[in-house]
Amino acid sequence: MSFVYAYQPLLDLLLINAGFALSQYVVLRAGVFSIATPGIVAIGAYTAAIMMARHGISIWGAAAAATAAGLIVGYALSIPLARLRGPYQAIATLAFVQFVIAFAFYAEPLTGGAPGIDNIPKQVSTLGLLCCVAATVYVLSSINQTRLGRIFDALRQDEAVAASLGISIWFHHALAFALSGAIGGLFGALQAGYVYAIEPQQYGFAMLTTTLAAVILGGRRSVWGPIAGAAIMTTLPELGRSLADNRLLVNGLLLTLIIIFLPRGLVDGLLFMRDRRNDRAARDQASLKIQKTAQP
Amino acid sequence: MLAQQLFNGLVVGAVYALFALGFNLVFGVHKIMNLAHGAVFMIGAFAGLFTVNAGLPLWAALIFATVCSGLLAVVTELLVFRPLRSTTEAEFAFLIGSIGVDMILVNIALRVSDARTLRFPFGIVPVEPLVLFGLRITPLQLIIVGAVVFCAAALAWYLHRTSYGRQVRAVSNNERAAILLGVEPRSVYFQTFFISGALAGIAGVLIGLAFNSISFTMGEPYMLRGFVILILGGLGSLVGAVTAGLALGMVQTVAAVYLPVGLSDLIVYSLLFLVLLVRPNGFFGDPVADARVARR
Amino acid sequence: MTLDIRNVGRRFGGVRAAEAVSMTIEPGQIVGLIGPNGAGKSTLVNLITGVLRLDSGSVVVDGQDVSEETVVGVSRAGVSRTFQNIRLLRESTVLENVALSLSRFAQVSTLACVLGLPSARSEQRDIAARAMAFLEQIGMASFAHYRASELSYGHQRRVEIARAIAQRPKYILLDEPVAGMNDVEAAELGELLRTFAGEGIGILLIEHNMGFVYSLCSRIYVLSTGKILAEGAPADVSRNQLVIDAYLGA
Repeated sequence: MSFVYAYQPLLDLLLINAGFALSQYVVLRAGVFSIATPGIVAIGAYTAAIMMARHGISIWGAAAAATAAGLIVGYALSIPLARLRGPYQAIATLAFVQFVIAFAFYAEPLTGGAPGIDNIPKQVSTLGLLCCVAATVYVLSSINQTRLGRIFDALRQDEAVAASLGISIWFHHALAFALSGAIGGLFGALQAGYVYAIEPQQYGFAMLTTTLAAVILGGRRSVWGPIAGAAIMTTLPELGRSLADNRLLVNGLLLTLIIIFLPRGLVDGLLFMRDRRNDRAARDQASLKIQKTAQP
Repeated sequence: MLAQQLFNGLVVGAVYALFALGFNLVFGVHKIMNLAHGAVFMIGAFAGLFTVNAGLPLWAALIFATVCSGLLAVVTELLVFRPLRSTTEAEFAFLIGSIGVDMILVNIALRVSDARTLRFPFGIVPVEPLVLFGLRITPLQLIIVGAVVFCAAALAWYLHRTSYGRQVRAVSNNERAAILLGVEPRSVYFQTFFISGALAGIAGVLIGLAFNSISFTMGEPYMLRGFVILILGGLGSLVGAVTAGLALGMVQTVAAVYLPVGLSDLIVYSLLFLVLLVRPNGFFGDPVADARVARR
Repeated sequence: MTLDIRNVGRRFGGVRAAEAVSMTIEPGQIVGLIGPNGAGKSTLVNLITGVLRLDSGSVVVDGQDVSEETVVGVSRAGVSRTFQNIRLLRESTVLENVALSLSRFAQVSTLACVLGLPSARSEQRDIAARAMAFLEQIGMASFAHYRASELSYGHQRRVEIARAIAQRPKYILLDEPVAGMNDVEAAELGELLRTFAGEGIGILLIEHNMGFVYSLCSRIYVLSTGKILAEGAPADVSRNQLVIDAYLGA
């Protein structure tokens, strides 16, 4: 058991990062090129931090409020972004993230300005994080197993086709944004309730690239992709001093190598190979059936 | 005095324009949004600093930085962008790949500089300001304006008066047709990336001189400013990049003087978001077919 | 009850891609649209299905004006289409491609899907079964588990048409469906189209393959530089001097 205790902080960090990655994953899954996750995480974190540190509200209420805030902001983003695609969407969401950070710096009476907010009571436990990640995974894999998953696949591959089949692009994008926002807000609050203090800097480019890298590394289709990616990104720096000191280099190399050589990501790449085997088996079975019925 | 601030802003804007020109050139010709551009800019500044520290004069530093950054950009194209060119979702892959390269370069610079902020040696440029038309103009400002005007003019001459430039414009217009007409695409890639990197390198040295600081993080705010310029001026429009760059420089400098700190950032990012919604092509750019989703 | 294209017009800069184009398609009819390259046939399809704005005129589906509707709206009004350059979901299987077109008719709420309720999961199985049944009906069942990218060109075309028909549209616009097919494949497709027309679907067939068009269509429109040049039964149209000139060039 002492093994577990020794690595608990790492596990907690992994779970939080997995949550961020899942938030980023939802929008990319649906073909939306949004990198707004750090901004929504920041909104969730500040909402929870203000409630917990200044008004004594417990993590339950704070997390619920942060999730709701994230959902609303995510949905609100989907409205103006409905008209943009590709790099334009990415830039717009980047502008949103920068706006949130700038606001956190500027609105000192509310957000504490550059030093941020501290003295946040630590009320988040490993068990709590596990439950939240499990619940998120359940919701997202439910989506994958129902018609929403097929629709997201279609939107990601060829939006024009989905539209020509009468599928509402805007509705499903808004859904993806709202879900991504809710998850981001939730885990922003959980992080705030874990690290005692938050400041605007931590939601910038570094979080953006790490989260994105986790999703690309693991895969954008299966729900286990971002979790695997977050796990790798969190544990890799622990494997060696030089890895920890050169986080950016490692992340950057992973990102570049994966997108060139394994663009599906690790998990999706493996699943794809398994699916091909299954499909081939199903095909052989089907053709066997046809041969049998063809015989007199 | 307002006129003085406007002039100072114009000089800063000139460097923004130089930065944006390089970025826009690559996007306009290859439809690649190269997020590593900021890192190339930063490496150029470092290259210039090392040249000067080795005892060489400033003009040598500028040349060395130009060549260094240009080659760096070319290497990036060869190793990262070219393999991604023929994949599905190439646009997305380019963005991710360039983020990876950015992270690698920033990490290298971090190691080399030991995370310190470096400076050009004092006196490399005479400091005594001249007084012209009632404005205080430092020799550095003259150098900056001169360098930018020279580069912009050289670029315009190259694109519109040489056969190389004609080929670049042909590829920008329609790559397939250009290849059928005998244009060698690889030489065009080399040229555009080299020029793009070279411009970034010069901008890096100039900014390093102007603000007397060179650090491994200096590329990030320029990338963000770069996005604002790109969207305002129109992705792919070189005239737009220059105009928007100058405008942003002036607006930002004046705002920094007359508005409380942090508010100018908020305004800039809100402006970016708004322009994306109303006119994602900016004021000068080509209408981009997929920027919006509605009946065309 | 018709698909009525009335006086539709659209220009791009100085080019009149469509000018005063009027056509009517009735349920159960197979109507042909032919014309030299660059005549504006695909543009017309895009104007009808909501991709392009109309400068003038209107498109009315069974009495409902869809001129301002987006692609999604036109599809929901009962008009399906295929694409000139086949647009299948390449990573998905044939079954998944066809199942997608049934997703629109889902009854289970989004909330049920998000929560993973049994009703949502069984709906997914139900859709897969119906998609399979449809594939069997058109003789493509053996391809159900192939990825779309693994099929031959001819089979990809059939899957794309299957996907469009699975929605039971009122009208379907086919953009060069037999391009690149040999005679046997084209004949098979022709039979399939006759079956669908027999079920009451109105078909607009855009094609260059004259034999195919003449054998299937009761009526043909000829489009040239954005204008309707002629209209009528295949025999009449093929003898029309204007049409002959348009094809051979003036």
